[in-house]
Amino acid sequence: MNNRFGLKDFFQIVLLLAVLLTVWLSMVQKTRVELDVKTAIGKLDELEKQAAQLQRKMEQGFAERPTVVVQQGGGGGSAGAAGMANDAWARPGVKIERWAPPHSATDPTTQEGYSIGGEFVEIFEAQPAKLVPYISSDVYGTRVIDRVCESLGSFDPKTLKLEGQLAEAWQVDPDGLWIRARINPKARFSDGTPVTAEDVRWTYMDYIMNPLIEAERSRSTMDNLKEVKVIDDQTVEFVFKDALFTNVLTAFGNPILPKHFFAKFEPGQINQATGLIMGSGPFRIANLPQGPDNLDVQWTPGQDVVLERNESYWAEKPALDKLRFKSIKDDLGRLVAFRNGEGSMILPTSPQFNKVLRDEPEFVKTNYALKWVNMRCGYSFIAWQTGLRSGKTATPFSDRRVRRAMTMLLDRDKMIRDIWDGIGIVAKGPMNPESPASDPSVKPLPFDPEQAKALLAEAGWKDRDGDGILENDKGDKFKFEYTYASSGEIAERLARFVKDSYEKAGIMVSTRPVDWSRYQELLKLRDFDAITMGWGANAPESDPRQIWHSESTREGGDNFVQWKNSEADRLIEKGRRTMDEAERMQVWRELEAVIADEQPYTFVRVSPWLRFVKRDFGNVQTYRTGLEPQEFFKISAVPTPAGN
Amino acid sequence: MVNFLLRRLLFMVPTVLGITFMVFMLLALAPGGIGAGLAVQGGQMSDTSKVAQMQAYLEDRYGLNDPVVVQYLRWLGRISPVKFGERDLRNASGDRVSAPREIKQPEMAWLFTPPDAPTVVFTPVSGEGQQEQQIEEFKKLQRDAEGARRAYIGSARLFKDTLADYVREAGAPWTDRLEPKGGAEPENFRDLKLDPANAKFGALHQAADDMHKKWSLAEEARQRAYIAFKAQPYPLSGYGVIPGAVYLDSPDLGVAFSKNRPVWDLISAALPVTLLINLIAFPISYLVAVPTGILAATRRGGWFDVLSGVMYLSLYSIPTVLAGVFAIGFLANKQYLGLFPVSGLHDSAASTYTFLPYWDDAGTWREGWLLDLLWHVALPVLCLVYASFAVLSKQTRAAMLENFNADYVRTAKAKGVPRNDVVMRHVFRNSLLPLITMFVGIFPAMLAGSVVIERIFTIPGMGSLIIEAIDLRDREIILANTFMIACVNLFALLLADILYAVADPRVSYE
Repeated sequence: MNNRFGLKDFFQIVLLLAVLLTVWLSMVQKTRVELDVKTAIGKLDELEKQAAQLQRKMEQGFAERPTVVVQQGGGGGSAGAAGMANDAWARPGVKIERWAPPHSATDPTTQEGYSIGGEFVEIFEAQPAKLVPYISSDVYGTRVIDRVCESLGSFDPKTLKLEGQLAEAWQVDPDGLWIRARINPKARFSDGTPVTAEDVRWTYMDYIMNPLIEAERSRSTMDNLKEVKVIDDQTVEFVFKDALFTNVLTAFGNPILPKHFFAKFEPGQINQATGLIMGSGPFRIANLPQGPDNLDVQWTPGQDVVLERNESYWAEKPALDKLRFKSIKDDLGRLVAFRNGEGSMILPTSPQFNKVLRDEPEFVKTNYALKWVNMRCGYSFIAWQTGLRSGKTATPFSDRRVRRAMTMLLDRDKMIRDIWDGIGIVAKGPMNPESPASDPSVKPLPFDPEQAKALLAEAGWKDRDGDGILENDKGDKFKFEYTYASSGEIAERLARFVKDSYEKAGIMVSTRPVDWSRYQELLKLRDFDAITMGWGANAPESDPRQIWHSESTREGGDNFVQWKNSEADRLIEKGRRTMDEAERMQVWRELEAVIADEQPYTFVRVSPWLRFVKRDFGNVQTYRTGLEPQEFFKISAVPTPAGN
Repeated sequence: MVNFLLRRLLFMVPTVLGITFMVFMLLALAPGGIGAGLAVQGGQMSDTSKVAQMQAYLEDRYGLNDPVVVQYLRWLGRISPVKFGERDLRNASGDRVSAPREIKQPEMAWLFTPPDAPTVVFTPVSGEGQQEQQIEEFKKLQRDAEGARRAYIGSARLFKDTLADYVREAGAPWTDRLEPKGGAEPENFRDLKLDPANAKFGALHQAADDMHKKWSLAEEARQRAYIAFKAQPYPLSGYGVIPGAVYLDSPDLGVAFSKNRPVWDLISAALPVTLLINLIAFPISYLVAVPTGILAATRRGGWFDVLSGVMYLSLYSIPTVLAGVFAIGFLANKQYLGLFPVSGLHDSAASTYTFLPYWDDAGTWREGWLLDLLWHVALPVLCLVYASFAVLSKQTRAAMLENFNADYVRTAKAKGVPRNDVVMRHVFRNSLLPLITMFVGIFPAMLAGSVVIERIFTIPGMGSLIIEAIDLRDREIILANTFMIACVNLFALLLADILYAVADPRVSYE
């Protein structure tokens, strides 16, 4: 009995193992600290190098200063300038538009408390799956990549006009078949290498279009791009197969990558990398592998994403030292972490936003509570099956009058008040209300049950047998099925509201909650009477063909309501081929009017952006493009709260 | 014993196969497809989504459009260490390079005569000192082959759409054969006679021509890449057993298409986190529950028994979700107690900490990496253990009570064995069997992670990994996970059987 393995021996072994584990872990930690020190030293070296470069430049004086005077203000073109020596790059006879280098929309430097340094912590709702340009597919990845990489052009935060970012000038073919861009000679990637035309060509033709790179999402939107040609070191030309307005976005809206960096890696390595971003933007990622040999230093999901200021940024440097992106999935956890000071910005839920403002008047003294509509706000809607359901049965919604009546029966103001706590505005059509493509004079249909009843009666739906339910002349009762994604409380409440509203008017509604992955199938099959959903937005205008054109009623198209309207088709075709922006916006406004009149959807709500931001930061401006964190600064007068 | 072990080990193979096959079938039969994950970006449908095209690409890329059984066999082939067919190569960075994939014959051969399969004659660069050029050439050919293949897949999809249009134009009864999704499966139209008067005839003809042309190009590019592959630009992977037919290589868990990363990478990132939390939680629950169970049994009906019973049962009845919310709302919120961090596993500066705590020169306390970690996992561990006390301690108590009434205990007491020895040596030892049964259940649970707790505290563990995979129908992750847990579970059951023999001399497998 005595030499049996006893409890005491067990504990001794466990203790021994624990000690060994501790020793091993402390060794691991030591190497980790050492690695950190090494990167810090590396950074110091780099700074010294930069200082030396600066010194050399100073000694050389301004001899090398480019003779091109960049027009300030970033606006307007100067026609007929081609022919001057410095415009040798341009195609003659076509208008050149010139742009100032990127600059802040609101100058932070003159504001009170401006200081350099500080860390801004944004708390995401989920982890980005990976941070590799064009391969990353979630919004969180995109938000990080947007801080690190720059495109040839970007939207002006105040005017929403597309302006040059890496490009200092460009020409757009009046027929829309080519675009020529001149890259700012000062533009540098974060390792100091100049941005050249070859980088642009490589990004498009050898990265996005490379079938070995898993960038299918971007690749499939570039079907229309034929070729990217290098004209000279600084000039690049995009050639398109067809004249479409989206060509401009294709050329100017995609981040440009450094060829010398990405070409070091095999396509397989790029596909499976988790944190491989380098660009010419105001920030750069903290853990960037230098080559294929040390890919293991890269960021991996589970860690915070840390971006550092790009010390050699070629335009106005940001004030903040670091941007950190954490993620907390739980709604309450996010708010608590924000309150505890673990984050500088969160996206509160609608009830949280209102509850905090209502219950704690003190809250806004230390935090900004921001709510505004910008170009990235999508809209939610109820879609009516205007064609045959699953290609077989007709629904009552093929009649425009019925669809209009359905909208008028729904009190959308009350819905927003009851379901979304009053946050949101009633949507009137497919265009974002901030966008110039939206006509302010188009108003949402009113809530008007009386008029709705009249419209339904006109379409033949009346209560003929006195049972309180509408029938048509054949005696069929008016009933439909309402499909929604069973994804949470809001969807359930919305379904109840819809059912109540219509049953009050004598329309029978059955509800069908389905799983989101089944949803996709139903949309594809056109297997629904009415379905609720939301469309997102990312730019002031997007190609309406996919959703509204009658050609898109085929599978693969997103016109799942099978709405066919020849006037809309005509406007879409016309708009897509109109290169002039003002003229095109006019076409989109006409299209919006047609859709608002026809009501293939009942447009429900435009959801504004909600943000809580600590008042420790200055120059927090709400723009029509969203937020611009590179313009924030940490207010120096506010003493930093002591660590933990 | 050895006989028993061998038999059990052999039985494991069909069991694992059965489990994975069932899971595979369940996934294949579940409604909904991979489209959902592709269409949504940040909770809203994205405007310009070319979901159908994306989907066609991914289905081809990961072979999702083959018959289910073929897909299952392919999966088995990948995870099996014994492999059949062409040996893979390993490139310089250690990644597997497989032979260019076969391309399906163009469809509708009975409607429009497809082109003959091209035969490519091509001599790739080879020989001493040419390694560099050989690799470059192979990479280029590989890329061309992928590009041509992608073009063919796109044109094949367009052909099917055009065929559907044609059939719709032709009207009933043809339209009845269209797929419920509205597309056309060419196989259904073998007896279709083409009618040049049909308004869509021209378009169909053109689409077929285009498809055939793209197929020829893709097939040529594939053959060229295959020849270059055969010339072995990289060294061979694995160990050959029968040349050209059977070889041994490491199992490959595949690539998760929703995250575009190797499944093994994802698991090896998530597993340590889950293991860490469970390795802290399980000992705590055992160290608390088993002794209290013993104490409760020895003082049956006493105040300790009643009190611990009531307390454990009331803890057991608190839902984890609620506990998590309370933990965050009160214990972590600085408006209340603010004792613990809200989420994550480390402080943001943790990588610069030393491992153990110390007082620095100024005399300030530095908590170090280890304490920081423990401080961060405190709340999740708390939520994980509080409910487990009840079951464990009640089990111990019941087993102990059963033995207390046994004859041998009475005998031991009668012959004057000290009370403590009676409890620990006789009763407890004999009460171990039900505990062992419960104990082995830990191992699969350790790998599975807790979905609820991981979500509330944002812990990147196995629970979050698998739930996301299920949402997006990412088969590779789900299968790899099931496979792993099934294996561990089977070994744990075997371990239980062995432990029974160790704990109870009456059990033997001879």
